Amino acid sequence: MNNRLRRSRAGNPKGGALANAIAVAFCLVWVFPVYWMVNTAFKPRSEAMTSTPLFLPKSPTLSNFDAAINQTTFYRTLWNSLIVVGGTVLLAVVLGMFAAAALSRFRFRGRRAIMVAILIVQMLPGSALLIPTFLVFNRVGLLGTYAGLILAYVAVVLPFSIWVMRGFFIAVPVEIEEAARIDGASTWQILYKILFPLVAPGMVASSIFAFIAAWNDYLVAYTFMKDQDQYTLPVWLASFSTPITGTDFGGQMAGSVIFSLPVVVFFLIIQRKLVSGVSAGAVKG
Amino acid sequence: MTTQPLAGTSRTSRLRPHAPSRRRPSWAPWWLLSPAGLVMLTVTAAPIVFLIYTSFTDYSQRSLFTGTYHQVGLRQYTALFDDPQFWQALLRSVLFTAAMVAGSIAVGTAVAQLLTRLATAMRLTVTIVLILAWAMPTVASSLVWKWLFQPGYGVVNWLLTQAGVFGDMTNTDWANDPFLAYLSIWLLIVWQAVPFIALTLYAALTQLPLELQEAARLDGAGEFRVWWSVTLPFLRPTLMLVALLSVIWDFNVFNQIWLVSAGGPDSATTTLGIFAYRTAFVAFRIGQGAALSVITTAILVAVTALYIRNLLRSGEDL
Repeated sequence: MNNRLRRSRAGNPKGGALANAIAVAFCLVWVFPVYWMVNTAFKPRSEAMTSTPLFLPKSPTLSNFDAAINQTTFYRTLWNSLIVVGGTVLLAVVLGMFAAAALSRFRFRGRRAIMVAILIVQMLPGSALLIPTFLVFNRVGLLGTYAGLILAYVAVVLPFSIWVMRGFFIAVPVEIEEAARIDGASTWQILYKILFPLVAPGMVASSIFAFIAAWNDYLVAYTFMKDQDQYTLPVWLASFSTPITGTDFGGQMAGSVIFSLPVVVFFLIIQRKLVSGVSAGAVKG
Repeated sequence: MTTQPLAGTSRTSRLRPHAPSRRRPSWAPWWLLSPAGLVMLTVTAAPIVFLIYTSFTDYSQRSLFTGTYHQVGLRQYTALFDDPQFWQALLRSVLFTAAMVAGSIAVGTAVAQLLTRLATAMRLTVTIVLILAWAMPTVASSLVWKWLFQPGYGVVNWLLTQAGVFGDMTNTDWANDPFLAYLSIWLLIVWQAVPFIALTLYAALTQLPLELQEAARLDGAGEFRVWWSVTLPFLRPTLMLVALLSVIWDFNVFNQIWLVSAGGPDSATTTLGIFAYRTAFVAFRIGQGAALSVITTAILVAVTALYIRNLLRSGEDL
């Protein structure tokens, strides 16, 4: 508060005309691709491809959404995505929570080494795991299965999940724990009755991050799930064009809107956590 | 080295506030760690070892079915080092990463600075726009990009033609021109990288003590001078972290290139990642692909080590 008041009296007043003009120009440029996606999604086929682009649909229609959803493969694909994402989130959050509890509420030999290992693993390129995982899954028959894809995603998401959850554990004051111990609670009781409920927000945050990572992945699903009925949403979306009619841009943009919507909603929900979360390696490019 | 007064010694036995004191070693942390540890050993550590092992074999498409392959020692690596395609891909990766990091940090810093000069409503608008661009899954944004830059009906070509600077660009095929393919992918990456950088730097800027700026102004420094001598040094640690993260992320870019240009035209946009993927999963020379992957990973681990060192220095408590 105080800070803000003083700032406005300092050299750069807030809300100057020039700053506002630049901000408006920036917003127009930056929002344009999103706007164009939505704009195209609501255009009837005849308006999507015109020599002079229409900046608003003349007769807005839901037919593109209809066409995308009514593709025979859509529900199958959505189902695949939901199962794989759900499995990944569940595993990453439960395993992540236990590990984070160990790494934040206990001191033990090797703790620091484990933390550094987690940081390194988190930064490994996804492609490094792609080849060996593919070979092993090919041998043990996990290619093209939900279980295989879930495992591959957990490998990517778990380190980050641990890292995020650890932050929440650290924030719980140690006095609470000590009080419970004095009252005779065992280590397990402290974990189940006190710590886990207190870090529930952390579970939500890391669930969202895990959801986004698994929901968005294209590379692994594209490599592992080769049959059309194994596709997840991003693979389905990227294969939207048919050789006969060429790319149906209206349908593809409608599909992109459907696919992006949950992620955008989650981003807006966790807006505040985003900056600190991502600098720890969250949502990978 | 050890000239510190004894004041510190009384503290050495004190544990950090978040760590409850524990007289005897407990097995509890190991029980808690074991499920995650087991999973990470099987899906991360073992594959990495197996990747390195595979890079010393001639694993091929046939091996996928028969399971037979041979040890070839360093032959995959020497073959790569003799292959001009490898060096070109490496060079492309390095230059492209540099261009993307430079672009996104320059724009990101400018936007962060802009945010400090906006009143609440406008700042919120810019933030929401940033989050929209950031939140788009890369598959969706790549498809949108292809549509924006579509020859014939793409809106970017139409806008450029209307601007009239480059003549009639209606049928310019971005994906089929080496430079233009790079340019469009660069724009895509920068578009999605700026939000994180701008918001992170803005968060840092709100911590900037104003007294310093005021003092500099009183001493007669101009706006740019204040920024250069006061703001920039204050931002340096954050900038460093953001730059290292960007290098790691941008070096790894795959989806956007694969979906927008598929590494083409010819192999003009084939970076190391695309080259490795093509080798391993299109040509199915898996042994060689593994060698490429090992090299890429080694480069990234080196950058990551820098990142972690910085993280530790910036006071992150492990």
